[in-house]
Amino acid sequence: MPEGKFCNKTPINTEEQLKATLGDKGGKQYYEEMNHLDVDSDKLWAAIQKTMKSRTKTWLEICAHCGLCAESCFLYQVNGRVPEQVPSYKIQSTLGVMVKKKGKVDNEFMQMCMETAWSKCTCCNRCGMYCPHGIDMGVMFGYLRGLLYSQGFVPWELKIGSGMHRVYRAQMDVTTEDWVETCEWMAEENEEDWPGLEIPVDKVGADIMYTCNAREPKHYPEDIAEAAILFHVAGENWTVPSEGWEQTSLSMFAGDWECCKDNVLNVYAALERLKPKRAIGTECGHAHRATVIEGPYWAGRPDGQPPVPYIHYVEWLAEALRTGKLKIDPAKRIKEPVTLQDSCNYVRNQGLKNVTREIISYIVEPGYFVEMAPNREHNYCCGGGGGFNGIGLYREQRNVALRKKMEQILDTGAKLVIAPCHNCWDAIRDLEEEYKIGIRWSFLKPLVIKMLDVPEHLRPTEE
Amino acid sequence: MFKKILLATSGAPSTFGAARVAFDMAKRYGAEVVVFNVMGVPTKAFSQVVNDVRTGEEIEVDDEYRAWVEEELKSTFEKQIESVEYAKIVTTTGVPSREILRAARAEDADLIVMGASSGDSSAYRKGYPGSTLQRVAKAARCPVMTVHRETASYWGGFGNIVFATDFSKQAEYAFRFALNAARELDCDLTLFHALDISGKVMDQNAIEDKIITARNRIRETYGPLMGDFKNFDIEVWEGVPYVEVVKIARERSADLIVLAHHSRELDPDLASIGSTMEQVILRAGCPVVSVSKPDKV
Repeated sequence: MPEGKFCNKTPINTEEQLKATLGDKGGKQYYEEMNHLDVDSDKLWAAIQKTMKSRTKTWLEICAHCGLCAESCFLYQVNGRVPEQVPSYKIQSTLGVMVKKKGKVDNEFMQMCMETAWSKCTCCNRCGMYCPHGIDMGVMFGYLRGLLYSQGFVPWELKIGSGMHRVYRAQMDVTTEDWVETCEWMAEENEEDWPGLEIPVDKVGADIMYTCNAREPKHYPEDIAEAAILFHVAGENWTVPSEGWEQTSLSMFAGDWECCKDNVLNVYAALERLKPKRAIGTECGHAHRATVIEGPYWAGRPDGQPPVPYIHYVEWLAEALRTGKLKIDPAKRIKEPVTLQDSCNYVRNQGLKNVTREIISYIVEPGYFVEMAPNREHNYCCGGGGGFNGIGLYREQRNVALRKKMEQILDTGAKLVIAPCHNCWDAIRDLEEEYKIGIRWSFLKPLVIKMLDVPEHLRPTEE
Repeated sequence: MFKKILLATSGAPSTFGAARVAFDMAKRYGAEVVVFNVMGVPTKAFSQVVNDVRTGEEIEVDDEYRAWVEEELKSTFEKQIESVEYAKIVTTTGVPSREILRAARAEDADLIVMGASSGDSSAYRKGYPGSTLQRVAKAARCPVMTVHRETASYWGGFGNIVFATDFSKQAEYAFRFALNAARELDCDLTLFHALDISGKVMDQNAIEDKIITARNRIRETYGPLMGDFKNFDIEVWEGVPYVEVVKIARERSADLIVLAHHSRELDPDLASIGSTMEQVILRAGCPVVSVSKPDKV
């Protein structure tokens, strides 16, 4: 059987398809259909010829199979150091073979590639730093995912995830009305504690346009409220767009390139429409990578930059604390051992390592911050990056992957982990659920709000 | 004043007291009951998996599961649903406190009724520290009624209301709710203040002076708002506030305690135990209403 009802080469483009695919509990039928899915070798080879550029060709060619990348990979470390987990092996045995065979590969091979691309690599890009040639297996796995997606070999949840983006232009079923309504609700819920608090929607010409992660309106709207409170206290002139507010890109995890481009163009359209001086995204790693680092290229922007300067939340927060827009009450600083999770997507991939540590210097009492080892750009993935967190089929592998982070956290002795990234936050939460090591975890926003020195005129009047 | 009651329930026996009170009120006062159930707490990032609130097991919510949960709720509350004119079941997934607030807002509920504790092992708490009640009580626009002890749910209707004040702004909203309820339901109303002398050794004259001052303050603060309502009296007792509130409620055979909720603290370690409201809820022999906003009083 070439194309299945759920598992096929066609992306999900309608709400009906989306609901039907969701209705296939756990992707049971989906994965059964995958066993019969034909590989369109001609299309695959054509895609490779069209999209595989010199960098990838060179990387595949020059890899000396030296194995120096092995230890750099946390999945190699936690999986008994088996040769099958060496990054160079993982990419050569998948993409490498696919290219060598000019796309003439079978179903079994494609399923092996799928398992490797989504359960043996989180695209954390750490291996690229340790390869003497600078070969980045993570980048190549991102590319391989695109090829696999185009042939229908993608985990069920990610087919749905990119389908959500296609249908709702958000990773979850949050409509424009839901979003705007949630902003109103959060302003209303907090107006008493924060007199004058607003969440301005579609304000043209503001200093800041804020974008977030659909999980926030869907499940954790207090995150939006917290962003609003901090902008409010800092006296920022800010807004959120009614359309183009969703910054994340499960399509990037899925390898749905067409959808990646659509996501980011949607955000950029909001920037063109509202003309803010700059944009700020929430505490999310992959959203930043998608919209700020990779997005400009997907969108075909010649300068490789978003339409306006687009910074990560930690950059704004550090700036607000540095310039005194936000003041911390020294008595309320964190006075317990605390550690910090570096998000691969904006630390290793964009170099924001010192920014988060600057924030730490304001909010943690000196002597209480404990670095993980290794840290900064050398830190390990949380264990759930690149879509790993959300794939039921690879739950067990993901749980094993969490062990590296668990060991790192245990070694610090800290019971509080600051995780300014949705994905890391999730992985660390799941880590606690799975291994019960007795830790707490938090985004920056709620921690900072708790220790703010709020100016008199912004405090609620007490009666 | 009670046109629509949102009964937040996990369907577990620990919420049966809350259900009994909610349906009883609906029957007496002609209200609609929305039986609201958060069947699963999201887990695992963006996947479709949730932790079932009853079993803690990981499940995938689909139409079939949803229908099954609704059927369970329907049979659990069958007799009660039949006893009222309007009732409906609404289920969803999400973080319980957040979804209860969302539903109360969407339904424009006049009152939220819920149990006080889902137990430490429940999926409600799993991964989401902090008590559902604390979060709901803090942010709800409408009063929140809690029924914790089984015995607190066997009153029929309301006849005696104890309103305990700490003279905060929120206490004024709570007062308005208590007065309106007393008026509308023809109840006796006790305006009460507990003079906190816990952990202090005070001169008896000083205590008595403070009691007199507090009585006057109640009279001055709430007296002018009484209008033609006459069935009230004023009491000030010294002691540990939550103990005194529970004691006067018992002494007056109160069937409803009304308190203000105004803790800003949402840190679960600091907020979950210790507040007067929480202690009163745990100990009271009748339903407790907490009010934090002026909208629905």
